[in-house]
Amino acid sequence: MKVRRDLVLFVAIVVLFACGPLISPLVHIDLSILSEVLVTTLAVLSVNLLLGYTGLPAFGNAAYFGLGAYGAALTVTYLHVDFVTAVLAGAVAAVAGALLLGPFLLRRRGIYFGLLSIAFGQVFYFIAYRYTDVTGGEDGMNFPRPPFGPGIAQVSINQVQFYYISLVVFVVAMIAFRAVVRSPFGRTLIAIRQNEARVRYLGLDTDRFIFVALLISALMAGVSGALFGLLINFAYPLELDWHQSGNFVLMMILGGAGTIWGSLIGALIYVIGKDIISTITPLWQIFLGALFVACVLGFPRGIVGSISALRRIASDDPEDAASNEAFDVSAPIEVGRGV
Amino acid sequence: MLEATDITKAFGGVRAVDNVSVAVREGTIHALIGPNGAGKTTFFNAISGFTFPDHGRVTFRGTDVTRTLNWRRIVMGMGRTFQTPSVFPELTVDENIRLGVRAHAKQAFQLRAPRGAAAAAVDARVDELLGFVNLAAHRGRLVAELAHGSQRLCEIAMSLSTEPVLVLLDEPMAGLAEAETDRIMAVIRDLRQRLGLTVFFVEHNMRVVLALADRITVLDRGKLLAEGSPQEIARDDAVRRAYLGSEVLERV
Repeated sequence: MKVRRDLVLFVAIVVLFACGPLISPLVHIDLSILSEVLVTTLAVLSVNLLLGYTGLPAFGNAAYFGLGAYGAALTVTYLHVDFVTAVLAGAVAAVAGALLLGPFLLRRRGIYFGLLSIAFGQVFYFIAYRYTDVTGGEDGMNFPRPPFGPGIAQVSINQVQFYYISLVVFVVAMIAFRAVVRSPFGRTLIAIRQNEARVRYLGLDTDRFIFVALLISALMAGVSGALFGLLINFAYPLELDWHQSGNFVLMMILGGAGTIWGSLIGALIYVIGKDIISTITPLWQIFLGALFVACVLGFPRGIVGSISALRRIASDDPEDAASNEAFDVSAPIEVGRGV
Repeated sequence: MLEATDITKAFGGVRAVDNVSVAVREGTIHALIGPNGAGKTTFFNAISGFTFPDHGRVTFRGTDVTRTLNWRRIVMGMGRTFQTPSVFPELTVDENIRLGVRAHAKQAFQLRAPRGAAAAAVDARVDELLGFVNLAAHRGRLVAELAHGSQRLCEIAMSLSTEPVLVLLDEPMAGLAEAETDRIMAVIRDLRQRLGLTVFFVEHNMRVVLALADRITVLDRGKLLAEGSPQEIARDDAVRRAYLGSEVLERV
């Protein structure tokens, strides 16, 4: 029953997004903004996997996002690769970053995981900022959007085509993400969030689970960053900055931590809200800040989390209760992990 | 089964456990008692790998596990519950137990839910454990919604899901009403009689200890005070003075 309802909702949303090029002029929102929503959703999902599902403060995911953007920018600029290869290069750069940082992050929990994530992210930020000869430093890297693929696929990509590429990646990512969080592996991540000590006392090495979650998260953030770079034809140090990480966390909380749709809703509100409010006032961040405060105080489970909690009360369906993954972000996260 | 030799654990200047040795024999129900602050839970933590002892040695089934990580000890055949039920409150009873069964079946790391025979084996084991602790009727409920005693039973079932040979129970009756205590006592008896397991438990309730235990170890202020059968402990003057009210023991 629930599976069918999810499927109908998913198909409806994909169809709605597929009509994006028709809808965007009607609502006066540029198609590139809708592409940005889809691309950003991947980065929010990457934070959601670590923070929303596993309970690890992923305050440095912009590092993987930025590595993705620079991975694409550098390979397009210096190696003249095609679009697909550039995205793959971004993904590889981000996963390589996670492989490098993972061993240091693995044994940290709670605020220490968060702080170390931020610190490592800033290292990449300063490398991009200082290594001017290669990365363009503070000015960033302007690069052209390359043709789609090699050989026969060597077609240029306009804004509409980019939008549909983003939509395909988005659909694949959402399906894959759902499969991961519903798999035995994903259920174990949720269990780690709720009580890591107990997971260890079920004979599981939680560090191993967290490491794989980190790699999956970096992969998603890397693809997101690469697509974002290719969308705006630009990579710049602020993509790696901790402010950017904070924005992803904010979007996740707006939508609902530990919910799949929450990541889309959070990205949608943030990206479109920023676009609309920033044309009215340069102080758009004040409005988003107020929205964030209102959300944490009024809907600590985020928009999607609050809706599913209401639906659960209304329907009294135990299946809904069991599958409600949203959790209250204002509640403390249990840290204890034993030795 | 489990031998802890000269275990010492200090926090700052306080020696919470001071040179304590305990041997838990296979097939027994062994109780660890002592007044508040005697170091019972600290000792339990040191032997189950929640913390490592400062000195001493722990062997389990003949293998030195003093510095073995806690999750590895579970794989080796230890199971443990905690003073406050350590469960996954926002998951259902079924899912709580299923996590352990999957962990034992080496399915926890899979990115696809198992199908066919592998899935059926897990389902059968979950049913069996739910039946053992009599929680089958509550399988679809969130653990957070269960009564305290049922949460404990769920935790016991989880600790059994990894198929241990030794079960460590930290105050399994804490905070329970009389009727719930009897329910858990019956389950602990079944652990040995029906499943053939060795049980080592910390307990305050003397009625429970004297009714269940074959052997009792008494700690007081971090030191080993006495060890013996329930009758021997009941007759021990030092134990009487340190911990037990004489009126309790006169009934033994």
